[in-house]
Amino acid sequence: MEVKIRLFAFLQDQLGPSITVEVTNPVRIKSLLNQISQQAPQLSSTLANSRLAVNQEFINDEEVILKANDEIAIIPPVSGG
Amino acid sequence: MHYLRISDAPIDVGEMYQQLVAPEYGGIDMFVGTVRQWTGKIETTKIEYSAYHPMAEKQLEKIAAPIEQQGGRVVVAHRTGQLVLSDIAVFVGVAAPHRAEAFKWCQYVIDTLKHEVPIWKKEYDTDKIRWGN
Repeated sequence: MEVKIRLFAFLQDQLGPSITVEVTNPVRIKSLLNQISQQAPQLSSTLANSRLAVNQEFINDEEVILKANDEIAIIPPVSGG
Repeated sequence: MHYLRISDAPIDVGEMYQQLVAPEYGGIDMFVGTVRQWTGKIETTKIEYSAYHPMAEKQLEKIAAPIEQQGGRVVVAHRTGQLVLSDIAVFVGVAAPHRAEAFKWCQYVIDTLKHEVPIWKKEYDTDKIRWGN
């Protein structure tokens, strides 16, 4: 299944506001981030420290079941305040 | 009732303070974060903040909710867009019946915001541009 993933901050600067990736449920979050790292090695350290959000909620489990219309986002380390 | 805002609009401390004043509170603690020029030997000229709306607002609500349930009031305003030196980037205010809770909760809100709210800074330093800290 193809899913669209929203990107922010440094990731957005490098790859644009979103990317499309091919995934198979259940999706291991580490594997998904690694998959993107392989396409963009300059982002590997940022991706290694990023979290996944689905429908605007952080996913704290190692795996997640994604649906085609979910709002999926990679959240790089935050730096507000 | 809490007041939470993430926007390009400049932050007026007096206006934020007014949101915290009520007869049930005897202590108001406020934290104001501003754009700092020097971080060790690194000189900053401006900072651009961006956010993931409305997830950022939802995360702020989650931080504020337990404090409100315990009888406090939370006011948070965070800037997005371009800020120059000394501009206010963030305001956190907590009103509570007594000072101990006001201090404790205010620190909790700003510390948790820095880890859990999807807001990012792009720092323009004299040597290069840095994302985050």
